[in-house]
Amino acid sequence: MIDSSFDRRDFLKVLGWSGAAVALGGCGNTSIEDGRETVVSYSEPADYVIPGIGVYYNSTCAQCDAGCSINGRVREGRVLKLEGNPDSTINRGKMCGLGQAGVQHHYNPDRLREPLLRKGDQGEPITWDKAYALIAEKMKGVSGEEIAFLSGGISGHLKALMGNYLDSFGCKNHFAYEAVAPGVMRAANKKSYGVAMPRFSINKAKVVLSFGADFLGSWVSPVHFSQQYAQFRKGVDGQRGVLIQVESKMTLTGANADRWLAIRPGTEGILALGIINALGTATGEIAAVVKDYDRARVSRETGITPGQIDKIAALLKLRSPSLVLAGSAAEGYAHGSQNAAAINLLNHVLGNIGKTVEACEAVPFPQMIPTTGNTAALKSLNDGLVAGKYKVLFCYGANPVFTAPGALKFKENMAKAGFKVAFAHYLDETALQADLVLPLDSALEDWGTQVPEYLATCAQINVQQPLMEKLHANTRGMGDILLDLLKQRRADEYKGYEDYYAYLRTALLNNKNALGGGKFDDDTFWNETLTQGLIKLEGPVSAVSFRANAVGLKLPAPAEENAQYPLHLIPGVTASLRDGRHANQPWLQESPDPLTTIVWDSWVEIHPKKAAELHIAEGDIIEITSKTGSIRAQAYLFPGIHPDAISVPLGRGHEAMGRYAKGYGVNPFQIMDAVYDRDSGELAMHETRVRISKTGQRVIVVKDEGAAGGLQMGRKIAVRVSTDEVDLSEEA
Amino acid sequence: MSVTNLLENWAQFRHFHPVEDNPHDPYKWAMSIDLDACTGCNACSVACYAENNLPVVGKEKFAHGQVMHWMRIERYWDEDGREFPDQGAQFLPMMCQQCEAAPCETVCPVAATNHTPDGLNSQIYNRCIGSRYCSANCPFKVRYFNWYDYPTTDNVWPAEMTQQLNPDVTVRGKGVMEKCTFCVQRISAAKVTAKGEGRTVREGEVQTACQQACPTNAISFGNLIDPEAKVHKQWKAQQVELDKEEQAKDKEEGGSDLRGYRIFEELRPYPSVMYLERVRESAI
Repeated sequence: MIDSSFDRRDFLKVLGWSGAAVALGGCGNTSIEDGRETVVSYSEPADYVIPGIGVYYNSTCAQCDAGCSINGRVREGRVLKLEGNPDSTINRGKMCGLGQAGVQHHYNPDRLREPLLRKGDQGEPITWDKAYALIAEKMKGVSGEEIAFLSGGISGHLKALMGNYLDSFGCKNHFAYEAVAPGVMRAANKKSYGVAMPRFSINKAKVVLSFGADFLGSWVSPVHFSQQYAQFRKGVDGQRGVLIQVESKMTLTGANADRWLAIRPGTEGILALGIINALGTATGEIAAVVKDYDRARVSRETGITPGQIDKIAALLKLRSPSLVLAGSAAEGYAHGSQNAAAINLLNHVLGNIGKTVEACEAVPFPQMIPTTGNTAALKSLNDGLVAGKYKVLFCYGANPVFTAPGALKFKENMAKAGFKVAFAHYLDETALQADLVLPLDSALEDWGTQVPEYLATCAQINVQQPLMEKLHANTRGMGDILLDLLKQRRADEYKGYEDYYAYLRTALLNNKNALGGGKFDDDTFWNETLTQGLIKLEGPVSAVSFRANAVGLKLPAPAEENAQYPLHLIPGVTASLRDGRHANQPWLQESPDPLTTIVWDSWVEIHPKKAAELHIAEGDIIEITSKTGSIRAQAYLFPGIHPDAISVPLGRGHEAMGRYAKGYGVNPFQIMDAVYDRDSGELAMHETRVRISKTGQRVIVVKDEGAAGGLQMGRKIAVRVSTDEVDLSEEA
Repeated sequence: MSVTNLLENWAQFRHFHPVEDNPHDPYKWAMSIDLDACTGCNACSVACYAENNLPVVGKEKFAHGQVMHWMRIERYWDEDGREFPDQGAQFLPMMCQQCEAAPCETVCPVAATNHTPDGLNSQIYNRCIGSRYCSANCPFKVRYFNWYDYPTTDNVWPAEMTQQLNPDVTVRGKGVMEKCTFCVQRISAAKVTAKGEGRTVREGEVQTACQQACPTNAISFGNLIDPEAKVHKQWKAQQVELDKEEQAKDKEEGGSDLRGYRIFEELRPYPSVMYLERVRESAI
């Protein structure tokens, strides 16, 4: 026995600390890498490498558009783990699961490594020079109207470069498309408040009434809102915030509500007007608009009991300020804008505008402000493709062949474009349809700047920097590619920039004073910026004031029963898979869905009452048929859904992309009808009606919940207490 | 020793930490998790995969119950037979509770799992022979067995993905049991730094990966002995005592305004994780 005063660490010290560490480190690596490790010279390490010690670099998460700042842990030149940057006002050092899986995007074995040129059904590897020459050749004699550029939401210097490239052809056809985006809400907010994305202060509200806004899961800036939510629960003046969630399918946020209400699909606006009526505080034209929305009618149309409406109104009256949010569940209908307008009107009546719906700041560089993606853009692009308008189509940061509703027949229409170029990380469904596929650097090996759409407490430019050397020699950053393409067009203007890094550095240094770096010399400012990973700024403030005209509100009666297609199809947006662009990251596939605990597959959520009526049991393979098509998936009996609706999560059902995505689950986008919101032109994602039938097959659902199906069986495991039994203000 | 005597005076007979002749000093690592803040988002679970080299086992092995998530989110529904779960779901982050009288430790035939002086239930991989008795005896079902040699299994860590592995954490081979360690590699690193400076680890110097990621700060972790530590304050405020199987809360007639509890306390494993009950509004 070694004496307890002489522990293992002292023992190692005696042996010689560095020698022992080298030996231990070596063992660990060889066993997993079959001896293929790189030998790091411990006496002469590269700059900033301290063997055995993790070094942290700040950058920006690129897994979604929320713009969380990350702090990447790098050891021996390899990025190991992404943590949150505490200095960011958005995520304050925190990270969601989706963001952390960014390393699996970077190290993904299915990443594209060479430019590929279509040869029949195959992609033939070519050099970048050939690829560029080919693009130049195809662009020759093509007019601006004949070019289309499809991207996801885009901001920062990349947006400026892309804009300049399109400008060089006189092309105005930039389509910013995000399959899952709050497009209707932006349009409705613009009308109601004068700004598309005001600042929502959940932490200042005493009551949050959310109509399907999944702000803890996938809505706008979930990590930021989760932190606000934690403060909200602790309470303003010791009074714990109350969350009421109204939606037809329970989201993660709904699962955390004090009261979750299953509303008849599409009647969210009616309930909002019913609550205004029940409040009884509205006057003038608003009172006139809501006077017909009495409890009896609203209850009949929405399925929410009169008692519940009264309780909500009473609570909202008692506890002020509150906050009312319109999420995708309310927006997803042909009258989605009207739903959102009614919900915004409720915010106005409650006096929340200026208190919890606040003025927001913008970045003072208009050319960097994000062009947010929406679904109306997809429609315009698709219309143009149908008309055969485009000779060249560029596609970056979007996978429309996977995410376009089946009714649009996007894949067929895409074939009508003459020459299709995809900038891609994987050979995904869209890249497979392209003529030329250009492989991109991962977000952890590329330079960039990003401006988030939702800014937390101040204007902020996020900086993205490589956390390690490129993994593959022949991938390139999107900025570098655009710069190279611009050099084909405007050589004089861009020849001074060797690469995107040089461009970014020059662009930021040219604006050093405006970026708050006036007192530093260039190198100090640049290093400081990279060290921080973000630049906080003061920008122009857009005031928020209520300016909508209540009289314009037109809410249709609840949808009529449809004998042929009796059920509503609600696309489930999960926090980890969203629109499916990251489905090839295995952590996300194996991360159980929080509500159903299902992994690696799709499922059909169906209310147990409805399932009993149709004799459906868990694991039955169900065929879902809409006007557009049909899909098959396993049934999961889920109490958190309206009996007139079923829900299938988005993001799975890939036919390409990679080993962890292909062949797992089904893609509900395929059976979606093309219905649009009447005011904003956005896709009405919740308007697809379906019928379901049993196929006779049954599988065992692969899920994490125990054999009891998520019941505690009387044991005291997860315990709940009601607010009248505890006093949170006395807690440490 | 009669069975009655054994049952009635269990606390005296059972060997648990801290024992009088060897008290926890200067560390006793413990956690508290506020279920009112936890949203069930799974960020903690993914953080654990990233930090601790957990293999992704795939659909088939998951179906066989071979998933390796040291940190998992359990989801429970109300059992009152209402049509809708109108008070939401109950989420519970579940990981090794680092019991002071750990049921897993007493059954290990080779003492591969045992207690460290700073109150961790440790697992010695190269001593483990894979009997799996510990897993059978764990009331929380938080021990995970390597049925396969994951480093050589297809698509677990293919090609470049090995580069993501954390060199501070062993990659486990086939036939050994593993579980949450409270991120012992981070604890050790902090202890080494502190020792070099001739002091003890301060509050905030060690964060577990799950705690660090948690977007709502639901998880607190620290040294229970340190009066400055948040866990110490929380445990004290909730009057939860490490070496008691019945707390102040349980003794109060007609309910209590305390929220702190430990799971399966009645089995007397003396867990090092305290949960704070989820709160739901009574006025709505």
